[in-house]
Amino acid sequence: MEPRSVPGVLATMEVKEPVAKRILVTGGTGLVGKAIEKVVADGEGRPDEEWIFVSSRDADLTSATETKALFEQHKPTHVIHLAAMVGGLFKNIRYNLDFWRRNIHINDNVLHSAYETGVQKVVSCLSTCIFPDKTTYPIDETMIHNGPPHSSNFGYSYAKRMIDIQNRGYFEQHGCRFTAVIPTNVFGPHDNFNIEDGHVLPGLIHKVYLAKQNGSALTVWGTGKPRRQFIYSLDLARLFLWVLREYDEVEPIILSVGEEDEVSIREAAEAIVEAMDFRGELLFDTTKADGQFKKTASNAKLRRYLPSFQFTPFRQAVKETCAWFSTNYANARK
Amino acid sequence: MEVKEPVAKRILVTGGTGLVGKAIEKVVADGEGRPDEEWIFVSSRDADLTSATETKALFEQHKPTHVIHLAAMVGGLFKNIRYNLDFWRRNIHINDNVLHSAYETGVQKVVSCLSTCIFPDKTTYPIDETMIHNGPPHSSNFGYSYAKRMIDIQNRGYFEQHGCRFTAVIPTNVFGPHDNFNIEDGHVLPGLIHKVYLAKQNGSALTVWGTGKPRRQFIYSLDLARLFLWVLREYDEVEPIILSGESPKSSFNPFARGWSHQPQSCPSPQWEKKMKSPSGRQQKLSWRPWTSGESFFLTPPRPMGSSRRQPAMPSYGATCPASSSHPSDKL
Repeated sequence: MEPRSVPGVLATMEVKEPVAKRILVTGGTGLVGKAIEKVVADGEGRPDEEWIFVSSRDADLTSATETKALFEQHKPTHVIHLAAMVGGLFKNIRYNLDFWRRNIHINDNVLHSAYETGVQKVVSCLSTCIFPDKTTYPIDETMIHNGPPHSSNFGYSYAKRMIDIQNRGYFEQHGCRFTAVIPTNVFGPHDNFNIEDGHVLPGLIHKVYLAKQNGSALTVWGTGKPRRQFIYSLDLARLFLWVLREYDEVEPIILSVGEEDEVSIREAAEAIVEAMDFRGELLFDTTKADGQFKKTASNAKLRRYLPSFQFTPFRQAVKETCAWFSTNYANARK
Repeated sequence: MEVKEPVAKRILVTGGTGLVGKAIEKVVADGEGRPDEEWIFVSSRDADLTSATETKALFEQHKPTHVIHLAAMVGGLFKNIRYNLDFWRRNIHINDNVLHSAYETGVQKVVSCLSTCIFPDKTTYPIDETMIHNGPPHSSNFGYSYAKRMIDIQNRGYFEQHGCRFTAVIPTNVFGPHDNFNIEDGHVLPGLIHKVYLAKQNGSALTVWGTGKPRRQFIYSLDLARLFLWVLREYDEVEPIILSGESPKSSFNPFARGWSHQPQSCPSPQWEKKMKSPSGRQQKLSWRPWTSGESFFLTPPRPMGSSRRQPAMPSYGATCPASSSHPSDKL
């Protein structure tokens, strides 16, 4: 479009395409929020989209008033809702009530403010850890509510499950298109690399970093045998964009690599060792708990929609994440 | 100056003007209240419990030591279907506000009220307390059902994180005075009572919706009220407890004469046998006799009954077979 001057205005004004979507991303500074920000900035954003990334600094989402004010201020047309109270195993066990209450409040405030301000679509974020503890494998989207979750994090799990219930309520009563995705284990830059409280892959990356520094062995907790499906945060971000733009169901969708790409913890550790060129010894502390052996999730629904979507190869994604951590060690969350 | 006993319990009853609240009020007034108890019945006129501020103010005003939490947004089938979101949100807010205000003001015990309609839609029978969360509820009232289920989740959270004794009861179909007798929106028994009343007035037929074959366990509100008092005073678990009526073992035609119900002191050997769950596993004794030597029996539910053996539930009723005497006039 050619710039044109507007009568009475001294400077010429460039006429841009009208903004069709104003997308508010809650939890915008977290692992997934940062990945979406990067993917958008690197060229996957569209000219008719305006992206706004907010964090707890911008509003306390456990407060209905502050959440409403945030929505009034930004007037989003779409929302990617990533904000949550999260934590590792031991924190969950100790604070199940708080994980339940604060997440219920956050989710209710965000969904209801979205409804009241006429947001067209909300994509919330669930997790495969909320599925029933006793279940068959692979798990799929229809099984979320088929039994109690693991007792260690029942507060967090039920609060996340109730996003799906509330989405259904908004759809049935008001026709709102509020939906959710269910990623498996996410990893990437800007993660929480705390060894005690973080998740397995960032914890291992941090351990290798320290082991290299100290010239010590790498000790992996457990036998290394449990298997996990890992999804690179940048791949997840691209899928979030697709869900936001194209996925029309209210029922949630699992976002994961296929069952065939499940890796053991040992294989994950070896990928990190290779990526960081660690030459020391690799040990397994079998006195530590293994956790669930398998949590295999089916990505058949995703593959029906996107048969050709290419995930970043696991070792490459690990390499990129390790490189980011080494470069950003001082500022990384740990 | 008359010296009164010090008040050991100040009991706040939310939803105090509803079916169950009114029954508790009556039972307390009729002599089952204790001298060390002060009972406060509140309704939506006293506070909007969907507001955290108003709920907190209510608790600050009355400073209860105990709470019986009955307040909820309730409704019939069609209202639920149309407003599942509102049933979810408003009840979650009410429950969170009541439980959290109770926690913040140091309430010793909260007894909330669930319902058998929140159990999994696809399930084996009989249902028991351990099965509440084993699958999705019926889709027609999923909002209400999940909100009620989450009371149990939140009770567990308060116990694990703060040691609070917040628990819940699960009544089956309650009926009695002060119910909602609206034919469209009320429940089956009060709806039928209203229909019969109108049919008599108009000289018309009584039309029952459906085939009449579905089966329900009904519990009289006054019996439920007495059980609430026991739960408040004696039931120490955080896990919920089903409070259900039970039919006599023998079969009979509910509309025929010749059925009676004899009160019996319990426990009886027959009763003790019934305490085992169908799987044979000994159920934890979830209640004790009313007072030593005093018997507790359900108000005879006539006409009501089954032509087959009812599932074993913690029950208080007589287990003797029907006699051939005339039905008791006392209900």
